[in-house]
Amino acid sequence: MAAAHAEPQHNTTTGIDNRKMLMWVFLASECLFFGSLISTYLIFKGDSITGPLPHDVLDIPLTSTSTFVLLMSSLTMVLAVFGAQHNRLGLMKGMLLATIVLGLAFLGFQVFEFRTFGHEGLNLTTNQFGATFFVLTGLHGTHVGVGVLYLASLLVASGRRNGLGKEVALHVDIAGLYWHFVDIVWIVIFTLIYLIP
Amino acid sequence: MAMEHEMHHGDEHPSSTIRQYVMTGILLTAITAVELFLSYSSLPHGLMITLLIGLSAVKFAIVVAIFMHLKFENRLLTRLFLFGLVLATCIMIALLSLFWNDTTDAVGGIPEGQQTAPKH
Repeated sequence: MAAAHAEPQHNTTTGIDNRKMLMWVFLASECLFFGSLISTYLIFKGDSITGPLPHDVLDIPLTSTSTFVLLMSSLTMVLAVFGAQHNRLGLMKGMLLATIVLGLAFLGFQVFEFRTFGHEGLNLTTNQFGATFFVLTGLHGTHVGVGVLYLASLLVASGRRNGLGKEVALHVDIAGLYWHFVDIVWIVIFTLIYLIP
Repeated sequence: MAMEHEMHHGDEHPSSTIRQYVMTGILLTAITAVELFLSYSSLPHGLMITLLIGLSAVKFAIVVAIFMHLKFENRLLTRLFLFGLVLATCIMIALLSLFWNDTTDAVGGIPEGQQTAPKH
């Protein structure tokens, strides 16, 4: 009877679960995606014929706050993974919820920033800066949104559980990889777009 | 034997504690604060950019190594991720080299004297 409930063994020649390997391959390909978008931004940001230009609209204190929020969400995410791996269901659920809330707060900051830029006359079609800025940060925000939905699905699924196992720990671990990647992409974007004049 | 070690290593949970994770989070916040301070400082432009990119790379490495557990994982995953990262860097260098000083899309068009005559 115990054997019937045992989790299936997932042996591979590398010793790495295929699903985890797939996530790392996906993240490696995402490096190319964001690398191309960041390059495009850097190339075109100085070619705008009309304003507003970056120094007219970028609000560094506001974005520093949203960066702090995203960094803290990485901390809560790694604690959720820790909870899942050490059979601490309460810790895992609480930290997943905190990560979701912080992710939504980051999206709120981004929506506020986009609306402010819109009021100042900058949108996707205003100039080269607007086009490349909104595409880059908008696609990053989309990744954050997908991450929030991903984590919410894990939280809902964990609500029906009384205990944790290796499979659950693996799912949370893989979701964590995605979330941390979104964070490191923002680390690069924050420095290259907002901090470097 | 090495393969056997790697297989077992891949199954292990990372050995970091909650305290270490929290300390890492504080370190990342501190680095971000230093970056913010640097961006408002009156350092020479080249030095400021070098420092900001360097600190950003340190934050990137800390998150990947500690939070994404790459430090404790099978080395195959590190190689896999580095491969994507190196390819992305090559693409960025290629694109920036090609278009950074491209005058064909400059404001006001191509400067006088740099236009080439059409071929017949």
